[in-house]
Amino acid sequence: MRVALAPVLAAAVAADAGLITLGADGRALFQQVLEQNPRGYVDAGIAEANLVGVAAGLARSGLRPVAAAMAPFLVRRAYEQIRLDVCVPGLPVVLLGVGGGLGYGPLGPTHHATDDITLMSAMPGMKVYCPADAADAVSVMRAVLADASGPAYVRLSARPDPVLPPAASTGAPHAPRLLRDGDDVLIVATGRCVAEALDAADGLAADGVAAAVASVTTLHPFPATAIRELAGRRPLVVTAAESLAPGGLGPSTAEALGRRGPAVISLHTDHRYPPVASHQDLLRFYGVDGQSIRSAVLSYRNRKTREA
Amino acid sequence: MSNADELARRARLRVVELAARKAIHLGPALSLIDVLAALYTRILRRDPARPDWPERDLLVLSKGHGAYGLYAVLAELGVLTTDLNELPGHPSDGIPGIEAATGALGHGLSLASGLALGARLAGKDRRVYVITGDGELDEGSNWEAAQFAAHHRLGNLVAVVDRNRFQQEGDTEEVCALEPLADKWRAFGWRVGETDGHDITAIGDALNALRAGDTPAVLIAHTTKGKGVPFAEGDPSWHMGELDAVQHRIAVAALTTTA
Repeated sequence: MRVALAPVLAAAVAADAGLITLGADGRALFQQVLEQNPRGYVDAGIAEANLVGVAAGLARSGLRPVAAAMAPFLVRRAYEQIRLDVCVPGLPVVLLGVGGGLGYGPLGPTHHATDDITLMSAMPGMKVYCPADAADAVSVMRAVLADASGPAYVRLSARPDPVLPPAASTGAPHAPRLLRDGDDVLIVATGRCVAEALDAADGLAADGVAAAVASVTTLHPFPATAIRELAGRRPLVVTAAESLAPGGLGPSTAEALGRRGPAVISLHTDHRYPPVASHQDLLRFYGVDGQSIRSAVLSYRNRKTREA
Repeated sequence: MSNADELARRARLRVVELAARKAIHLGPALSLIDVLAALYTRILRRDPARPDWPERDLLVLSKGHGAYGLYAVLAELGVLTTDLNELPGHPSDGIPGIEAATGALGHGLSLASGLALGARLAGKDRRVYVITGDGELDEGSNWEAAQFAAHHRLGNLVAVVDRNRFQQEGDTEEVCALEPLADKWRAFGWRVGETDGHDITAIGDALNALRAGDTPAVLIAHTTKGKGVPFAEGDPSWHMGELDAVQHRIAVAALTTTA
């Protein structure tokens, strides 16, 4: 995502003198800003709390700060600054959390941030985005730069992402995007798990199950009405996210569909200590990879068949 | 008594009246009033008729628990006309004269650094002042900001440390020592001044002496917690408190006699 976003950010800084980018000793996103317009980038060093406080001061000066840091350190070390300095006054600061979820794989729990969506969802007025691939990240960046109404958090990947069909990044990122249709089950996924959901749908087709797949990029404000419409008459909705449940895709989907809606199975990470493993293997360990999604659907179908 | 001294005396009386109505951060409010009086009467570029004048200098009260001291000074200046008793115990957005909401410690120096950087990027000839507590400097985020401001050569940023030597539970040097405080700021690349924090003329002179320079500056203002109320001076138990009728009478008398 960083490779795709770097030119977008550079062009945005070139076009708008009020836009200022900030990093915490991580310049990959801003390398082209630095090359083309060095005044458009400020390095705070490895000091996330100050990074966010400075961004808030810049926003109070009428500038438009875009601040990036590694997701675990941004959301955890600077939690109070994000809450009190940015969100309570409703300042239009864009926060980019690089490597949210399990993207840093074998680097271990210090570098995992499966809590970023949960923590940012507790922030007043925070818009929370979890793009599914590089092109979707570009669509999110364009949307947040055009919206100065308040703060935004964007979870970005740490490593190259699977490339999704163009439908995953078509149009604005606020509504869910239907990537595949099918009548038996709707799989709703966000971020990296969208690719997993598509894999699951392929596998389920071989199992004789027609699965629809929807990608949700905007987690707050949650597109509840659109999700209800997408779910339609399907008996089952499965959600998948490499995040803890609270404030995330699963509970938001269940709330949108209500008690009288379809059955909802929420797949999400938990607090188990991770093994030393690749990103893909960690998705499997926490039960949010394609195989886990497929198994959840098949288990539900088998249970219903037995009951019938 | 100069106009600034009279402003400070009257502001202290306002704080005392508030403390007779409810428990407030009394000691921290009283210790910083002379610093505020110096800033508002001699240092801050401002338009008395227009508190939101876009070219004004900015003041961030990082030690937000000193809010009633700031409110009282703003009331004396005519910026605040509401009943101070209705205002929150820490500065909030939307209150005339308040530049940034504060209250959680260790935020103001970063905010002020962003404001100072923002002024420079916008080509504004603006100075940004920030008042921190001394106990507040225990928070590590201050030193992140100190390093940042020096690295980015924010010469339009001036911090004032309200060095009353007490934090909530006692002497700063006993709780978690700050000294050698001036040397720490120097080591971080700041220009450093020290002054008697209750001599308004000296405070103004010291701030003027720190004006020229392309690095940030800090003034360590040696103050007395609870200044002006004899029984509260230097007594950390008055960090927060409410005055009973007798205490209120003594406090008012002390602040009236010195007029």
